[in-house]
Amino acid sequence: MANIFILLIIGFPWLGALIVWLIGDARPKIQHTFAVAFSLLSGISSLILLAFINSQPAIDLALGTSFGSLTFIPDGLAVSLTVIATVVGSLAVLFSVDYMRGEAQLGRYYFMVLFFIGAMAGLVLSGNLLFTFFFWEITALCSYGLISFYNDDPKAVAGGIKALIITQVGGVGLLAGALISYASLGSFQISELLGRADTIPTAALSFIAFSFLIAAAAKSAQFPFHTWLPDAMEAPTPISALIHAATMVNAGIYLLARFYPAFESVPGWKTAVILVGVTSALITAFMALTATDLKRALAYSTVSQLGYMVYAIGAGGVLASQFHLFSHAVFKALLFLTAGSVIHAVGTRDMRRMGGLGAKVPFARNVFIIGALALAGIPIFNGFWSKELILEVGLEHSPMWAYALMLLGAGLTAFYTFRMTWMVFFGTPRETLHIHPIGLAMKISLAVLSIGTFTTWLLFGGLNGILSTSLPFHEIEAESTLEMIKAVSFAPATWFALLVVTLGLGLFFAFGRKFALSESPAWLSTLTESSFGFEPVNRFVVSLVSNGAEKLRATQTGQLNWNILAIVGALLVVLAALVWGGAL
Amino acid sequence: MKLTEINIILIGIVSLLGVGFYGLLITRNLIKVVMILQILVKAVVLAFVFSGKVSGNLGLGQSIAATVIVADTIVAVVGLALAVQVRRRFGTLDAPEISTLRG
Repeated sequence: MANIFILLIIGFPWLGALIVWLIGDARPKIQHTFAVAFSLLSGISSLILLAFINSQPAIDLALGTSFGSLTFIPDGLAVSLTVIATVVGSLAVLFSVDYMRGEAQLGRYYFMVLFFIGAMAGLVLSGNLLFTFFFWEITALCSYGLISFYNDDPKAVAGGIKALIITQVGGVGLLAGALISYASLGSFQISELLGRADTIPTAALSFIAFSFLIAAAAKSAQFPFHTWLPDAMEAPTPISALIHAATMVNAGIYLLARFYPAFESVPGWKTAVILVGVTSALITAFMALTATDLKRALAYSTVSQLGYMVYAIGAGGVLASQFHLFSHAVFKALLFLTAGSVIHAVGTRDMRRMGGLGAKVPFARNVFIIGALALAGIPIFNGFWSKELILEVGLEHSPMWAYALMLLGAGLTAFYTFRMTWMVFFGTPRETLHIHPIGLAMKISLAVLSIGTFTTWLLFGGLNGILSTSLPFHEIEAESTLEMIKAVSFAPATWFALLVVTLGLGLFFAFGRKFALSESPAWLSTLTESSFGFEPVNRFVVSLVSNGAEKLRATQTGQLNWNILAIVGALLVVLAALVWGGAL
Repeated sequence: MKLTEINIILIGIVSLLGVGFYGLLITRNLIKVVMILQILVKAVVLAFVFSGKVSGNLGLGQSIAATVIVADTIVAVVGLALAVQVRRRFGTLDAPEISTLRG
């Protein structure tokens, strides 16, 4: 049965993508309807798949000797991420009905979104590294196409290309790791790599481990690849919510969590993971302090929260990281979609021009506050429980300095979240903005997500159950929601974190409002504008490549004789190599 | 090197290829380019028949050679037709002269 539902989960969105595209842009109403229908069907199929969780492949298709078998394994890790991708995906598509109403080229938009949803499900369900890579690249392609959706805007095109190139670095890392693992094991199966990791020579295993870390960092916009995500905010807001907050950027976390048992023993790997997580979480928290663009501020906080998940994996808390991933997907999708509805309503993304909007769009204000409280880690919202769980794991299993820096990050999170909320919804209006009403489809998806923000932490026991029973290589203890509540409530880590969060809030109420409206200090804004020195590095690489290519143009004469000379020359080199090597 | 049957044919293939590459290196006239391509392809046809003979699968080598001859004729015809058009439009058959791609 599980095989049918896996095929449906991937097949429904892909079929829908084709159909919506074929319908043509002349009939937008039918396009909206079909897109919502197919994404909902996929979401329902993935919820049904929850009943068929198993650690054995549900689909096993032999593809000959060079590719191994195409397998799909519906284990706990894969299915929980599939549910997030398809359910948040269908909510984002539903939101798009209002957000994208009247836009041209809806066919292209929905094609990319639906193609992405199917590929994301395939990426996590695949049990074959080569196909994981294949789906991984499809998600990167869709991400690029959707960031550059407004392709008459140079900023959107540049942001898309930047995202594509930087995530390709990760793609190369994943492919290199997969090929080395194939060379050592003779198989692309993920279960083989997890089960026989100790038979791989140490050097090869370290190479795989660090390649996968690079892949994960590039995909999840972690340090030092964190610069693409803020520029990706040129995408339509439902896309920012779906791809750049709730799903695609989690692929890196998924990769680390999936292969944690294999790489755990590699010397230096866990420390490197912790380092990447802590650095990303902290520097982007600082950048969120000074951001004036609502979506960019949210993007920085996404990188920061992903940093928490990476940190949790480095500290050995795969469960904590997956739980935070789940909570984050819900509350960050909520925050992004609410931001989208506000931007749609007022027509600007600049928080300096907003202010006092709360009275005009009360619904958006209320749901945004729910999301913000979860992001800041205020008790009973889902973000609180998962963040406390990460900090608890961190206190026990990570170096003290890392834990202290993550605590600082929690305080900063509370501060910038409230700064953002206050700048948009409270205070006095700084500019008279014309308000468009928020549509019904938007309200439905926002309501669903805000209910989720209140309640998804109650699913902890279920998530823990499916992870602990279906992952044979991970050591995850079964724990019910009630036990988790008790553990978190009485842990000293929680009280430290709450203290720091309260401190952050206190600082906000003392200085925050003045800080938010005045120019940020020069040193801070210089640092954040250059992404802590990484923007110049990016520009240097770009100029290096384009100058080099410009110099190489001299070789492209377009003259037959020169080309033949090169061909004959290359032939001679090959012959010489063969003779020298003794093959001839 | 003894002049066995095999060696004679090998020398033939290599010298035809050599003539072809040398011709492509020095020729500018488009019609001559087409002619030289024919010489190159003849080397390839010979190589196919030869490898069929060596591998003991003569029929396969011959049928591939026949296919190459047919495809190659079409290439020659299209190439000559293009040369005629180039002569009409540019008034010259000199390859570097008509090149509009500037490095």
